[in-house]
Order: sequence, then structure tokens, then C-alpha cells
Amino acid sequence: MSLLDIFMIAVRVAFSAFIPLCFIAVCVWMERRGAGFFQDRAGPNRAAIYGFRAAGLVQNAADGIKLFFKEDMISDHIKHKFFFVMAPFIVFFCAIISFAVVPFADTLVLGGRGYVMQGIPMDIGILWFLAVTGFSVYGIILAGWSSANKFGLLGSLRSAAQVISYEIPMGLALVSMLIVYGTVNLSEMAQYQGQLLFGFIPMWGAFLQPVSLMIFVIAAFAECNRTPFDLAEGESELVAGFHVEYSAMKFAVFFMGEYVAMFASSAIIITLFFGGYQIPFLNTQALITFAKPVAFFMMIGLPIGMYYFAGWIRRNNVSHYPRENDPRVTEANVYIKCFWGLVVIIELLLIGILICQSGGSAAHVFVALLQICTFLVKVTMMIFVYIWVRWTLPRFRYDQLQKLGWQMLLPLALLNIFITSAVVIALS
Amino acid sequence: MGAKVKTMERRGSTFIERIYLVEIFKGMARTLSHLLRNLKDNSKLYVRHYPEVQPEIPAGWRGRHRLTTHDDGTVKCVACFMCQTNCPADCISIEAGERHDDKAEKMPVSFNINLLECIYCGYCVEACPLDAIRMDTGIFSLTDNNRQAFIIGLDELLTTPGAYPEEDQKKGGA
Repeated sequence: MSLLDIFMIAVRVAFSAFIPLCFIAVCVWMERRGAGFFQDRAGPNRAAIYGFRAAGLVQNAADGIKLFFKEDMISDHIKHKFFFVMAPFIVFFCAIISFAVVPFADTLVLGGRGYVMQGIPMDIGILWFLAVTGFSVYGIILAGWSSANKFGLLGSLRSAAQVISYEIPMGLALVSMLIVYGTVNLSEMAQYQGQLLFGFIPMWGAFLQPVSLMIFVIAAFAECNRTPFDLAEGESELVAGFHVEYSAMKFAVFFMGEYVAMFASSAIIITLFFGGYQIPFLNTQALITFAKPVAFFMMIGLPIGMYYFAGWIRRNNVSHYPRENDPRVTEANVYIKCFWGLVVIIELLLIGILICQSGGSAAHVFVALLQICTFLVKVTMMIFVYIWVRWTLPRFRYDQLQKLGWQMLLPLALLNIFITSAVVIALS
Repeated sequence: MGAKVKTMERRGSTFIERIYLVEIFKGMARTLSHLLRNLKDNSKLYVRHYPEVQPEIPAGWRGRHRLTTHDDGTVKCVACFMCQTNCPADCISIEAGERHDDKAEKMPVSFNINLLECIYCGYCVEACPLDAIRMDTGIFSLTDNNRQAFIIGLDELLTTPGAYPEEDQKKGGA
């Protein structure tokens, strides 16, 4: 094992362990500011360090510090303290490792050796995701049960019933995807989606299997306990559901676990249905061949995009009431300078790509980075869909939830499997 | 005069609506339009930038109490106990004493209002026969670190000025 091998393993493990953690901050920020903007209010934007609000991101740090230093209480009536403490960590751990099988870039070829860009390079792929997310409900059940609290127990029972009902349509929706792709390995699925359908449409799962996409997304929402399926913590009837008895950092771990699960399931939806790390119309081979033109167009596009972005910051980061020497204008100028600095650094790297020999290892690394960026942008968009749905739809009633799962999604998924199999057999 | 009956159209029975997805997308388009509008120009948010921008309090609004005075600055209150008797929250406590300046026979020696118990119903103002207590200070935000600070006495009640001119009071201020 050479030094490069060890380095690449460290990189891929670090990526799949820390990127979900970094995205917690982004998710929480998107959720709260997004919720504000959906409802025509501002959202948390007052917390500041030396007057720098960072569009409300400082609020995350403030909340994190608050939760970290709060008194960690365990009520006396809780008998099973071990399970009580363990429950949030099961949820969090399962959420993190469910992301481990998602490929975030195509196999990187360096010095004649291929490096799989996946936290845990496994062939079972999607099966791992199903198994691990199914396991995370144990954390919720354990939390509700060990709380010795009616609300908690009801919440966790609801959650268990919900996961059982929606795991089946989700699995069946996957079966039709597996028939199409002919593999359970997520890397191979993402590579498959780099092809073109009829020569001009990217061969994404969403275009091949729209019904399957719909069922899978609905089931994934239910699996993450997100609105409209957040009956496990329906605050109007159950206070907070399974985490009523939790406070301080134990609550925060539940909270972060929820967002990591959201990130992981977004990543899975992206990989299965929206081409994973693939840039539409440019598969990995094409990207490596055309690395220089792509870098050149990025060099032109970035400053133009940044110019409009700077204008947007300048227009929106001002005080909306009369104020002398508005400090938010200076703040905006600092942000704009930081972003321009970032653009300059990226430009220098792109010049490096233009100078380097085409098709060499620099091009390979450049393509891998480009694909990672594409992957993260797609995942962020999917997370936005989660947030968007949350602030649009009201919560389901419990019988409606079960009816939707068993009477609508399950027959639809079965029908989809039959039709897909018939088409696949007819074509082959 | 018969009541006007408006028959509401019952929604949700057509096939498109029963599929539910189309309606979900319609709703999502509506919320997205709000997001994009606010993202493009955040001065369009329906928010007041409190505390930098204070709300406008109308004259009829019941704020913190004050005691009014005669033109020469002496207290109007004659300690008749009407407000204390009328108070549903029992937050007013008056101690009466003799008065020697020929304006009345009695005057309050101490007049305490516990603002934490007060429910701002305005019954004291209604009950007062001499227009001696009013709630026209326009103070709506009361904060302090200890409970004792919320029991305000004669001095504080007398020194707080009214926030509105006399004409507004005659139009029916509190």
C-alpha cells in the first residue's frame, strides 16, 4: 500500500464522515431562514460577531453553544438510563453511516490505479442504506420507551408503525429501479446514469422511472420523519413526541441526527434518480477529454456570476430603516471582498488546469472535484425540496398516513414493478 | 332582514384533486413564489425591525398607568378606593391620608400598582370619578431583573407624562 493509497482512503472516509456534519449547519440555516422567507418574515438574522451576521449563520453557532452548555438533565423517573442515553446516538450514528455507501465522484484514476470515491466501497450499496435507515428507528423506539412518558411512547409507536408501512413501498420502488439498472451497487448506478437516452436526454432514473421516483421520495420523507409525515413528533398533539424528555446536548444529537438523515436520504435520491455526481451531457470520459474547455468556460462564468451575486448582496444586506453610517453596508462590502478573494483563488487553480498537460492526473483530480461540487449542489437542491415541502404541506392525520402507504403507494409500486419488468423483458 | 346565505363550493372531489399530487405542486408553486420574491428583495418582508423601529400606539391603547395632577401639580386622586375595589386582578393597593390644601378631604399616602398582576383591563380608569388614573402613557414593554421593580408607587405614577394630547383623550382614550 503506497502513501497515495492511504491518503485517498483518508480523504474518502473523511469526506463521507464530515460532509454530513458540515451540512447540518447548512440545513438548519436553510430551514430557518427558508421558513422565514416562505412565510414572509425574516427568520433568525440578529446574532452577530462584531456586527457580522453571516446571513444568520452565526445564530447556528449561538444555538450550538447554548445547547452544549445547558444542564444535561435525566429525570428521576427514568429507570433505564443506559438506553435513554444511548437512543439519540443510535439515531445519529445510523444517519451518518447510511451516507457511507453513496459515491460522491466517479472512480478517480491516479497513476494507473482506480480509487472508488465512496466512504465504504461495498457492492451491496443500496441494501446497506435500507438496512441502516431501518435500524435508526430503533433509536426512536428506545427513546420513547425509556422516557417512561406517554407522549414519548405514543410518538415512538407512531414512528415504528410509520417506518414499517413506508419501508415496503420504498423497497418495492427500489426493486423497479434495480430491474432497470441491473445492479445494487450505487457507483455502477451513477455510472449508468451518465449515458444519454435517445441521444439527448440524460439517462437519469427520474426520466426512466417517474412513478418510482414519486413513491421513493414520499417514502423517504416518511422515513426521515419530516413533514407531512412528522407524526412521531406532532407537537400539537404529542408536545414533542419521542424526544419530550430529552434536553441539552442529547436533544441536540437527535436534532442533528434528523438533519444528517435528511442529507443522507437526499444523497440517495440524487444517486438513484438524478444522476448522482454526473453533470448532464458530460460524463466522466468527456469531462477528462474536455477538461481545458470546461475550465476555460468556468473561468469566464465565475466572475460574471460573482458580479451579479455581489450586486444581490449589496442590495439586500442593508438596514431597512433610516440609520446613519449603516454598518450593514460595510458588512456587505467585507462579504463581497471575501467572495471575490475566493473567486480569485478558484481562477488561479483553473489557470493551473489550463497550463497542465491534458488528460494527466491534474485533469483527473479536477474532474473529481467538479463532480463532488455537482453532487453537493444537487444534494443541497434536494434538501431545499425537503424544506420547501415542509413549509407548504400540513401534517397528515394518522389514518390518512396509513391509507396512503398501504392502499395507494403499495399497489402503485407493485404495478410499477410488473410494467417495468415487462418492458425490460420486451426490450432485451 | 334575512341572513345572507353564501353557499361555499365544496372542493376536493374531482379526480385531479383526489390524486392530490397536482394540488401539492400548486401549493408548492405558491410558497416558492413567496420565497423568490423575498429572496430577490428582502425589504418586501412583512416585518417591523423592532426594537429599532417602534410600533405606533394609538391613543385608545391601554398602556402602563399614570396618575394625573391638577394644574398646580398636586395629585388629583382623592383616595376614594373606587379603582382598588373595581380591580379584578387585585393589583392596586392604596393607603389614604388627610389632605390640607382645601382641594379635597383625602389624598393617597401611598398608591402601589403591581404591574405583574395587572391585566390591563382599564376598569380602574372607567371607575375613577375624577379622571385621576389613566393608561395613556403608551408604555407597552416592561422589563426588569427583579419582581420588586414591577410594583410602582406614587412617585413613578405621578411623574410619567401622558403620551397623547388632551384632544385625543376627549375622543375616547383610555
